[in-house]
Amino acid sequence: MHDNSELAAQLIFGWDPLWVSSILFIATYAVIVSEKINRAIVSLLGASLMITLGVLNQKSAISGIDFNTLGLLSGMMVIVAITRRSGVFQFVAVWSAKKVQARPWGILLMLSLVTALFSALLDNVTTVLLIAPVTLLISHELKTSPYPFLFAEIFASNIGGTATLIGDPPNIMIGSAVNLSFNDFLLNLAPIVPLILLITLGIIYVIWGRHMKASDETRERIMRFREREAITDVTLLKQSLFVLTLVIAGFVMAHPLRLEPATIAMFGAALLLLLSNVKNKASEQSENVHQTFGEVEWVTIFFFVGLFIVVKGIEEAGVLKILADHVIDLTGGDITVTAMAILWVSAVASAIVDNIPFVATMIPLIKSMAPSFGGAEYLMPLWWSLALGACLGGNGSLIGASANLIVAGFAERAGHRIHFLKFMAMAFPLMLLSILIASAYVYLRYL
Amino acid sequence: MNLDPILIPTKVAKPGMIVSDVFAECIRANIPGIPFCDAQGTICGRITLKNILKKACLPEYMIELARILGDQLSCMGDMEAKAKQLMNNPVDPYILEPHISLTSDSPAVKALALMEQNDTSYIFVVDEGRYKGVITIQGLARMITQFDNQR
Repeated sequence: MHDNSELAAQLIFGWDPLWVSSILFIATYAVIVSEKINRAIVSLLGASLMITLGVLNQKSAISGIDFNTLGLLSGMMVIVAITRRSGVFQFVAVWSAKKVQARPWGILLMLSLVTALFSALLDNVTTVLLIAPVTLLISHELKTSPYPFLFAEIFASNIGGTATLIGDPPNIMIGSAVNLSFNDFLLNLAPIVPLILLITLGIIYVIWGRHMKASDETRERIMRFREREAITDVTLLKQSLFVLTLVIAGFVMAHPLRLEPATIAMFGAALLLLLSNVKNKASEQSENVHQTFGEVEWVTIFFFVGLFIVVKGIEEAGVLKILADHVIDLTGGDITVTAMAILWVSAVASAIVDNIPFVATMIPLIKSMAPSFGGAEYLMPLWWSLALGACLGGNGSLIGASANLIVAGFAERAGHRIHFLKFMAMAFPLMLLSILIASAYVYLRYL
Repeated sequence: MNLDPILIPTKVAKPGMIVSDVFAECIRANIPGIPFCDAQGTICGRITLKNILKKACLPEYMIELARILGDQLSCMGDMEAKAKQLMNNPVDPYILEPHISLTSDSPAVKALALMEQNDTSYIFVVDEGRYKGVITIQGLARMITQFDNQR
């Protein structure tokens, strides 16, 4: 960490680095929250100003970027981009709907479970991008409102994503920053996820599920869907499932293999690129690779790059240390109070604003608390509280997670607008209930 | 050689027209779309059969799921009433941005290159701001066939 006087000397006009970094941080986050300008542009501009105004030099700015997070994210994005071309996700969605004889509640249940599973193993946005169109088609054919289905899928996506290291970006960030493995997340977060999902679906059943009906004629239409035709390339399907299995196995075995998750994801991405292109001519390979890389969400990747630098700026200037001390003062240095505060504040904040910048700020903040709690090893309840709060909190409103907005967009274009307040009136209390369950879990298991 | 021999003169769509007018003209001339002109006669957009059918008959989610659709779909019911309703709709919601155009003295290969560049099979021909008609990939093929027949 820079000495503050050293930083001040580098700053233009000799401004106090504490103030410059704080103002830049607040301004960056305010513009991100306003959603007036693309978030990648804002975070990169904030990062550039952190360096240009002398809060950070380029070397320390680059040291703030978590390349493990970026590698894991982009590696998984490549794997998902190739896998989805095989049509396997749509196959599973339609297949599961037919397995329950196209009964509306059965379909809702199956699609929610499929969404939760895919969200845990892939990413939430891709999952809902693939499931939402199937849902709209099915509900249209059943002549039922798609709202309960989409509502349940939003919840399943965010709850499912909570279970694993790769399920939701906050988990990737926390795992990378604290060196937590895939198994750590499986052992610590996955056990509570089925209970939360079950209770959520139970409530959805009471509210909507028990009233759902469809005629034999409309159900027959679903039964006539040709899910096998969704599989566009059987070879690609086999290659994708092979690599996906290998990558998941790699995550599970990461510790004995002494590999970082990013290495495993990148290896899987490279292997799948190779397998899916090895028989192609050079020109086709070039086109395929170009298309695959085009599907990587570069906006998210560059958003992360900028964000890491902005947060590094306030960290180096000592802002986070001051904030951490304030939090400790407020909670009286009590780990239980601190964990609960982090869980609930993360949940409410994540329901209102993007959870990625929130978690990016909270990570160094929590790290700064280590001395107050007797060392980094005593911070584990705080990390699990942050992960649970940030991931589950996304369910609180329509803007709480990117997946929610994707679903809302699909619904609106299909003529079924999801109203912000109507959604929140149901979603926020349900989200609070999930946080209540998570609080009990954290308290009983870690505190 | 200019494009006149393969030029297909057509009417243009104007404010106030209904979908059936556009359908009739496109079917008569066997072309996928016609220009849309404002009250002053300036081309300010285009209307295509593909876009009308996509917007009116095809929900977005169905496109990605085209392969899995079965042989019974709810949207197939009451086709006659739906068709009548569509035909009487004004064209305004179906206007797309102006299409690529070239002049009638352009070489055929330029027309072909522009079609390829814009991933289309037809181009409007406009001389000095005046719309003259449409050339299609079929017209270009006919031109080549005529060369072959002269051999």
